[in-house]
Amino acid sequence: MMKIDLQKEFNDYTQNLNKASKDQHINTAITRAVKAYRSTVAESLERFPHTPEMAAEVREIKTQAMANNSELLAQAMASVERNKGKAFYARDRQQALEIAAGIIGTGKTVVKGKSMLGEELHLREYLEEKGNEVWETDLGEFILQLKKDRPMHILSPAIHVPREQVAEIFSKFFNKDVPPEIAEEVGVVREFLREKYFSAHVGISGANVVAADTGAMVIIENEGNVRLASGAPPVHIVMVGIEKIVPTFQEAMKTAEVTWRYAQYGVPGYVNIVSGPSKTGDIEKVTTYGAHGPKEFYVIFVDNGRSEMAKDEKFSQALHCLRCGGCMYECPVFQVTAGHFGHTYLSGIGAVWTAFVSGGLEKAAPLVYTCLRCGRCMERCPMQINVPAMIGELRNRIVNGAAQGEEPLPQVAHS
Amino acid sequence: MAVEMKLPPVLEIIRGNIVKHGNPLALKGSEISSWAKALNLPARGEMLFYTGGEYQLLPFIDSLVKTMTYVDQGSKGFSLMMGARNLLNKAGISAEKMYASVLAKDKDRYNAVSYKAAVILQKLGYDLCYGGEQELYSGALLYELGYWQDLQEYAPRVANVIKQSGAKTIVCLSPHAAEVFKFIYPKILGDFKYEVKTFVELVWEQRHKLPAASFNKPVVIHDSCRLARELNIEQELRDILSSVGAEIREPECKGKWTTCCGGPSKLLFPEVSHTIAGRRVAELEQTEAEVILTACPYCLSALEGAQEKGSQTGIEDLIEFLYRGVK
Repeated sequence: MMKIDLQKEFNDYTQNLNKASKDQHINTAITRAVKAYRSTVAESLERFPHTPEMAAEVREIKTQAMANNSELLAQAMASVERNKGKAFYARDRQQALEIAAGIIGTGKTVVKGKSMLGEELHLREYLEEKGNEVWETDLGEFILQLKKDRPMHILSPAIHVPREQVAEIFSKFFNKDVPPEIAEEVGVVREFLREKYFSAHVGISGANVVAADTGAMVIIENEGNVRLASGAPPVHIVMVGIEKIVPTFQEAMKTAEVTWRYAQYGVPGYVNIVSGPSKTGDIEKVTTYGAHGPKEFYVIFVDNGRSEMAKDEKFSQALHCLRCGGCMYECPVFQVTAGHFGHTYLSGIGAVWTAFVSGGLEKAAPLVYTCLRCGRCMERCPMQINVPAMIGELRNRIVNGAAQGEEPLPQVAHS
Repeated sequence: MAVEMKLPPVLEIIRGNIVKHGNPLALKGSEISSWAKALNLPARGEMLFYTGGEYQLLPFIDSLVKTMTYVDQGSKGFSLMMGARNLLNKAGISAEKMYASVLAKDKDRYNAVSYKAAVILQKLGYDLCYGGEQELYSGALLYELGYWQDLQEYAPRVANVIKQSGAKTIVCLSPHAAEVFKFIYPKILGDFKYEVKTFVELVWEQRHKLPAASFNKPVVIHDSCRLARELNIEQELRDILSSVGAEIREPECKGKWTTCCGGPSKLLFPEVSHTIAGRRVAELEQTEAEVILTACPYCLSALEGAQEKGSQTGIEDLIEFLYRGVK
């Protein structure tokens, strides 16, 4: 039997967690963010009172979709091909990266939208190693790219960096005096990246939802960076987890609306729907690809542990996660430590995802024991994901090494 | 692939104590049951009063954490784990030594919680029996920490002691015990067919008999996660306090939306736990209530431990609050 001493994992992690809990930047930023999150969501739920009912509908859509995931994946891939895009299935991280690198090659400029899957795969780092210039275009991710830091929230990755620090980082990078004023900071990045969008060879984005029937990729955003990154370069690559697929376009719209509502967007600035390469039939009705947008369109569906998770009845529900991030704002640990309570994926649900797709039980163990099992996340979660029960089960597996399928105890808490 | 993972020793200590001594901190049965001497409760009856030793062990938790922190000479960050290991290597866990520093007044206060709870229930007309020195801790922490195989062996021992009482109903002071008896035991043991009630529910049922509170300043309720979200008990607390005429203030996060006291991470991450608890105390104090009330031993301990020195707001268990009117 293999033995793993988790002492060191726990020690390093605990030191880091303690430091974070005393960090004034984190404290100020998260306190502000939680307040804003609560009031915005309350306000938009009042303005769109159908949302909780729609969330219940989406729970059912997701349950069915995960039960039929392999069929939907095949259908989605066929739809993309039919739309003259190219669809790939990547079993694991290495395959996903190799497919992407195979399309991109080397010596290229790449503009990238924010993607948790990208973080999971360490996509930017890999493409850079292959000799490409890669730019994060989401403002928060751009800041972290320069800061050589990792996201501290899935939607507001640079939630822990205050404007003064941003000014410092930018002044150094742009080699000019950037004042600690948010509008100025936004302005310099806009100017810098604008040129990159139009000189880039490839744009990469994730997707919030995929409709299997049409092959539509639904991408929610506010900044407009994904619109540019997915529209200006001649090649657009979508990298998306297989759990994002729902059967129909209409269901994808419902899923998207619930996602952005609980993600504090109320109404998002942009919802991109991309189903294939840019095309025109304006001259003699001859369909020609690459009109104004990308001539080439690729979708890489990434598994990387997700189908294993789907097969495990105690955890399949975690794949319903819309990544709205609501649970994080409500998590008492996250509120004082931000993404330090995480390993790529953050907080309680992140511990579950870490165990399956991003490091395994060993990496997940300290997170699994950090969760308070207080159940607050479940109250907020539009998918009502039973994180406390999953954490209990993971602890049991850590302690007893129970193989999947064994059933030492039922999940009863938070029944 | 079978993989054995070695966890921080503090978890092993807790597990070992429960399995070996029937109590997370290896306290003696005589110590845990000393509160009951004056009441002469029978060992058998219809309704079993169950403390699980949980309020009684509260004054020792901080001592355990402090001792472990003290023993370690290295970085405070991982002191807890290293400290526990050193302790284990040197002398094993000596409860007497480790807990010698606990103040008598703290011991008395938390021991008295069980006493007060029993007296309140008696005054409301309930006939109680009690397991005394035989009573075993429920094993809720074995469930909580993932020691499910241990719980499967431990639960029958607890059930056996309960069975000897001949009771049909178990009254739990701690929501953690109630949770594990209500939801987990029946799944482990085929014949665990008891009515499981919390102290709060029993008081609620007879609240019309409660005398008016002698305390007429505003109070605020800290809902415990287990009570509000697992056991669905939130309105009952408010009904009880209304019926004794208390003025209730509500914090921003209450009922099902309550915020955790940080208690569950006290053993592994005491600093983070302390920060979380401090934030919750601040939130409750913002209501400008005179007293913060809770109905869970760990919430009580966590909130009290994190309160700023010199704060004017009291922190009490509901049991302590109600006893003022009853005695």
